[in-house]
Amino acid sequence: MSGQRSPTSIVNRISDAVPVDSVSTLQVPLGLLAIVIFIRPVVSHPLLLGYEQIANTILIWMLFAVAFNLLIGYSGLLSFGHAMFLGIGAYGAAIGTLTWNLPFLLSAAIGITVATLLGYLLGRLTVARGEIYFAMLTLAFAQSIYFIANQNYGGLTGGSTGISGALPAWIESYRGVMYVSLGWVSFDWYYLLATVFVVAGLLLWQLVRSPFGRTLAALRENEQLARAVGIDVKRYKVWAFTLSAAFTALAGVLLEINNQGATLHNLSINTSGDIILMTILGGTNYFLGPAAGAFVWLFAEDFLTEFEMLVLPLSEFPIVTIELSGVLAYWQFFLGLLFVAAVLVAPREGLWGLCRGTLERLYDRINGDQTKHE
Amino acid sequence: MALIVVLALLLANAFAMRPGLFVDQVVGGLVYGFILVLLALGLSIILGLLGVVNFAHGALFMLGAYLTFQVVVEWGLSFWVALFVVPLLVGALGIVIERTVLYRLYDETPLIGLLATFGLALMLDEATRAVWGASPLSVPTPEVLSSSFDLVITNVANFRLFTVLVSVCAITAVYLLIERTDFGLSVRAGVLDREMAELVGVNIPLRFVLMFFLGAATAGLGGVLRGTEVGMDIGMGDQFIILAFVVVVVGGVGSLFGSVISGLLIGEAVFVTPLVLSTLASRTNVAAFDISGIGGLMPYLVMIIVLLVRPRGLFGQEGFLE
Repeated sequence: MSGQRSPTSIVNRISDAVPVDSVSTLQVPLGLLAIVIFIRPVVSHPLLLGYEQIANTILIWMLFAVAFNLLIGYSGLLSFGHAMFLGIGAYGAAIGTLTWNLPFLLSAAIGITVATLLGYLLGRLTVARGEIYFAMLTLAFAQSIYFIANQNYGGLTGGSTGISGALPAWIESYRGVMYVSLGWVSFDWYYLLATVFVVAGLLLWQLVRSPFGRTLAALRENEQLARAVGIDVKRYKVWAFTLSAAFTALAGVLLEINNQGATLHNLSINTSGDIILMTILGGTNYFLGPAAGAFVWLFAEDFLTEFEMLVLPLSEFPIVTIELSGVLAYWQFFLGLLFVAAVLVAPREGLWGLCRGTLERLYDRINGDQTKHE
Repeated sequence: MALIVVLALLLANAFAMRPGLFVDQVVGGLVYGFILVLLALGLSIILGLLGVVNFAHGALFMLGAYLTFQVVVEWGLSFWVALFVVPLLVGALGIVIERTVLYRLYDETPLIGLLATFGLALMLDEATRAVWGASPLSVPTPEVLSSSFDLVITNVANFRLFTVLVSVCAITAVYLLIERTDFGLSVRAGVLDREMAELVGVNIPLRFVLMFFLGAATAGLGGVLRGTEVGMDIGMGDQFIILAFVVVVVGGVGSLFGSVISGLLIGEAVFVTPLVLSTLASRTNVAAFDISGIGGLMPYLVMIIVLLVRPRGLFGQEGFLE
């Protein structure tokens, strides 16, 4: 993975997308561990966001983004309606627990199964249609599911208010902080969430490195060639879509616990749009790039909307004070600008690739190695 | 054939039971359908000719509605000024977008175009929220058009008829421009073979800018009409861009005629289906036929059926963008 720096081309060599030799195979697993260890102390630092609960949300969105990248990054499929799988996971868990009085894990399994089946059927129907058709068809399906949930057929989905208060029996909420309590032991919900995050992340990582993942990358790079060497392109794409749906639904279940319910917003086009923005912004070429994108997005959302004044150079010595709250309330405008720039300059690199490239260049400069530069 | 008979019977039943409401719904569907056609036409032009799915098209439509508010309410000018000025403004913005962002995308894969315009749509949405606020707004209907037209069994608001009239004129003009003039011919030539067209002296970049202006201006016109009829909010762009794409897919990508037919078909489906089903339910006493909210689902149902039966759309060319 030698820091792809070709400016506009979306077509990179497979060896750039899937690290083969130069990178130790432990990099991503260690990265996942580092995320769950460091994210809480970092975001809860008073200078940053200042409270711990946001770390839960960030982890869930990171899982969502990494699962989403199985499609856009590794198979070249852009799903514009991925919120439907997130929402089905969340609604499945909530409906099963609250309406049908099933054990939580069973309801979660139902939600994930439904999402996976839908992913499979939808994949069969749409993946062979070309990328634009695929994007807009997934969008249309997601809209119809949103509509159905909003109409509240049979009183299942709770219409526009959604379902609230559906928590597993083994979760206790005390003063806004959730604990997993198993009778003999009780610990912060974050630790369970982090465990699920790491396990799911490792599964996805193994999937990407497997022959299956390599084949996906191959057909993303050159579909005709892949077909010519005998790969059943449609079948691979369908399975990529199905697996992505399954992991997204898992993220949905986690989100349901974290928010203590499912809301219509989980299913909405805004959620689908957010995940695309996060993933592309983070960098689809890298396994953890989308996670970085999710972090930046959620961090910006929370940090910039709280931010009111820019005091320079230090808040103790105000020399220049700039009123920013009016502008920063519209932070999405600037992230949109960043996003458009990223898409135009290097659509597959994102922030992760940018940082990586800068670091590599610095490293080369320090070592006096100029051979790599053009 | 049997399908047509069943459909005709269902429609006749609905008309017999609730004639006034039926005509209302048909007119409503027509108006809604024409707005969809105006939007889909621009989308289809830009997609078919330039190969870019312009996700920001919905935002341009929304901007058309908000600019109407600006002209009519904030500046106190007449609706007729807005009707002419707003499409030009939106078209000018379209040119800016084309010159700054989109022209870089013509050689890229369509996916990059979709992503970039999606980012643009986000920016336009936020900018609109910053300027006009997040709450829905509305514009007074011009006095000449605020009365209604008597159809014996029901009344139809004049503004709705006016919308249909303006839409028909605009759609015909665009259609004739592309299909019947030398200008349209040179644009289509550029799409088929850009190098060859440039070789024989056609200024292709200029043609593409003009086509983008045309697409954006029709979206703006749709925004003026829709905004004056039902008001405006931030979500309307996203909602309509999806429907417009559904219209393009159902009609067949690359066929302007297909977009017109499918836009009207979907508009009618949205408005007439709920009435047909509710009258069917009361005729047969089977309450299950009366599905609430079926109207909003109809575009997607129509699209799924069309794609299953005829993947290229009703009038589409085979292999385009697939």
